[in-house]
Amino acid sequence: MVIMKRTFLFSALLATSASLTHSFASDSSFPTPTPPANAVPTRIAGELGGPGLAVKTRKALAVPLEGVQFVDNAVLLVKDGKIVGLGPAATTPIPSDFEVVDAGEQWIMPGMIDLHSHVGGTFDINEMVYLTNPGLRVSASVIPHNDTLKVTVASGVTTILFIPGSGVNVGGQGILMKIGLDRFEEALVRNPGSMKLAQAGNPEGWTVGIGRSFMNWNTRAMFSRGVLYAKKWDDFEKGQGSKPERNFDLDIFRELYSKRTQISTHTQIYQVVMTTLTMVKKQFGLDVYIDHGEMAGYKLAGFAKDLGVNAILGPRNVEVPTRQFINWTGSNPEGILGIAAEYQKRGMKMIGFNTDAPVIPAEELFLQASMAVRHGFDATNLESVRGLTIVPAVTSGIADRVGSLEVGKDADFVIMTGDPADPRTSVSRVFTNGKRIYDTAKDKRLF
Amino acid sequence: MRRAIEHTSLKEMRTFVRVGALALGLFASCASTRQADLSALREGEHGFAVRCDKILTADDADHIYTNGLILVRGSKIAYVGPNREIPAGYRLLENTAGVAAPGMVDLHSHIHSGGFGDVNDMVTPVNPEFRAASALRPSNTAIKTACAGGVTTLYGIPGSGTSMGGFGLVYKTKTHATYDEAVMKSVGGMKIAQSYNPERGAGDLGQTRAGLSWILEDINEKAIGATRQGRTDRALENLQKIHTKELPVLIHCAGSDGFTAASRMWKEKYDTRCILSHGCFDAHATAKHIVAVGAPINAGPRMVDYFSTRDGRITGITAKYEAAGAENLSVCTDSPVMPQEELFLQGTMSARYGADSYNMLRATTIHPARAFGIDDRVGSIEVGKDADIVIRSGDPLDPRSRVELVLIDGEVQYDRRHDGQWF
Repeated sequence: MVIMKRTFLFSALLATSASLTHSFASDSSFPTPTPPANAVPTRIAGELGGPGLAVKTRKALAVPLEGVQFVDNAVLLVKDGKIVGLGPAATTPIPSDFEVVDAGEQWIMPGMIDLHSHVGGTFDINEMVYLTNPGLRVSASVIPHNDTLKVTVASGVTTILFIPGSGVNVGGQGILMKIGLDRFEEALVRNPGSMKLAQAGNPEGWTVGIGRSFMNWNTRAMFSRGVLYAKKWDDFEKGQGSKPERNFDLDIFRELYSKRTQISTHTQIYQVVMTTLTMVKKQFGLDVYIDHGEMAGYKLAGFAKDLGVNAILGPRNVEVPTRQFINWTGSNPEGILGIAAEYQKRGMKMIGFNTDAPVIPAEELFLQASMAVRHGFDATNLESVRGLTIVPAVTSGIADRVGSLEVGKDADFVIMTGDPADPRTSVSRVFTNGKRIYDTAKDKRLF
Repeated sequence: MRRAIEHTSLKEMRTFVRVGALALGLFASCASTRQADLSALREGEHGFAVRCDKILTADDADHIYTNGLILVRGSKIAYVGPNREIPAGYRLLENTAGVAAPGMVDLHSHIHSGGFGDVNDMVTPVNPEFRAASALRPSNTAIKTACAGGVTTLYGIPGSGTSMGGFGLVYKTKTHATYDEAVMKSVGGMKIAQSYNPERGAGDLGQTRAGLSWILEDINEKAIGATRQGRTDRALENLQKIHTKELPVLIHCAGSDGFTAASRMWKEKYDTRCILSHGCFDAHATAKHIVAVGAPINAGPRMVDYFSTRDGRITGITAKYEAAGAENLSVCTDSPVMPQEELFLQGTMSARYGADSYNMLRATTIHPARAFGIDDRVGSIEVGKDADIVIRSGDPLDPRSRVELVLIDGEVQYDRRHDGQWF
């Protein structure tokens, strides 16, 4: 049965390859991500083609990577789906043709970004025939603005990295997509959004008898082939060497090799994080980020920081006491330790949060940051807000479009009743690309 | 006062409460029969002085003291108020900067046995003989974590597998205690499950609401009859105390049907000291009636209704009960359905969905204590009450606030700096 299935898949793959070869023959830069199709122009303020939109607010949490993090009594100016201005109301004139939304005492912040999500479409996210599947794309499962995402956006999350599960070591390619937009082309931010790597702690279930040694060997071997393949193409494009034969399974490595995408890694225990850092970053030089980082992985925070590997933490917030006969992680026998706080203590600055939705409900992303603070994470300089916005944006290489309220970026922002890390705060309006996609005054309240 | 604040903002409300507190302060201190005791400790007595940045007393006048002092004499509170000189003999507790609030009280809890086990005996539908106290494992891990979450008093009850599950116990969440040290009342009150879970599908009576009601009325009439005839029946003695109002009864009832049936039977017909617990789904539709008949409501574990509108829209249920003017409105966890240590978050989420934030502090402290009739001992920081005090790094309802120190009966049961953070 299994053999039959594999044979069938193989022939199906071949058939697909044959037809694709033809269509890409003229495209030398394959696989270029599809550029997001423009929204249909409208006459609605803030949206593409519409008049400008000015939002007056008590406090704007701008959270750029560097510089002033918030503006009191601010005005945000939006035109054609982009941010065209942000500043104090006293010194920021509102153009006469802009429609004004007065948010009163409410605050605004950039739409939040969750770099570990499995709720972007259908839930068939674990293809477990092979242990490494660099060619598979979760984009085939996308259902833009599905019912789960409708609740997610009601909490202020506007961008997710929808990724394959951790059933095997390389689950395939994730997709960075926006929430609230109905058409795939409009929702797409970048495909491939990442290559999902599950270093250990789940893929063991693929079959009986495999452990970290085999998996690491197997992953390393595949990475070696992939990087070699990418290098051959790179050399060819620079005019050195002959044209390599296309390998659809390994094309993602061309994206990784040229730093157009990253590896998002299911990695957590000390030894597993160590393997991520040494194998993926040091040996192969690929852009990678920690996309769990719990258990005792925090002990490597200093090493990760030195290598420029960011930490997107979750869904677990704490390292729990281990008093069993076998002390699995052995880091803290008494109290619980806040994971984010431990990374921070070791000098890591680029700390973000994820939900692994539906493990933690996608709409509770903000609560991941709140709980980090409960467990000792210092958020004096809005680190909790940055970990939900600019840090994941920079980490996934999309900070030119999202992650902060800065001129030129997409107008993805949230209007809410106060501090986003306090659950008593509620979201009243959410905008994606300048489009009002959730409004409690008009729509039913979902979260 | 509470009704007047419905349409004011939180900030205005807080100002209003503070002004109200000042105005009522004199009256409250005159009315109180418990006078602060500022005398020096006698030989052999022990006492703590607790200095805090802020004390939220949750007393009748909602006193809030900035830079306050609490004196704990033995197991009781001897003084609470503005900072002042500490009488001789008191030891000043360290690690008490932050916000002090009363230990929280949960009236719907099943963690006394240490987990899901030992809470449902499901042989017969009515079990007035049973006592949850026999399943207590004092200071089990779930209880310790509850303590580290700032919850200090629990009503541990049988589950809702049968119509009359038996009698629950009231105990403290001490982290190192024997049975006697932990238990306040081994028979604290009764547990009833009005509908849903106790429905019986085995072909005997109790498959429908009608059958379930008959089963309960039948046993109630037997108990009332025994009292009237002066008979002593070992099986019914505790149930008789429900009907003579010696003991309260907590009722598992969800949905407008369950709320109505519970209120009609236990309040309007038998006039017991009943508390209607859960109140989820569309039960808030009956809020006005429940408030009119005077049955206290204990909302949770579900804090929102996304059932009755059938279109995904959510409604905060606590806010609905609050708006209907519910007296002594409390929230619950039904732990371990919601983790016991997250009782505060039930208040927080109620506030997210429209309930008043400060009132939710009451809903986790003095309101449940008063509804259950244990407010002479717990629920607020007042002179003469048990010294059950929780000190956090900030606002009790904000998950970013850490629990730093928990005192129960005047003893330090949890100290984050010493014990490590447990929650």
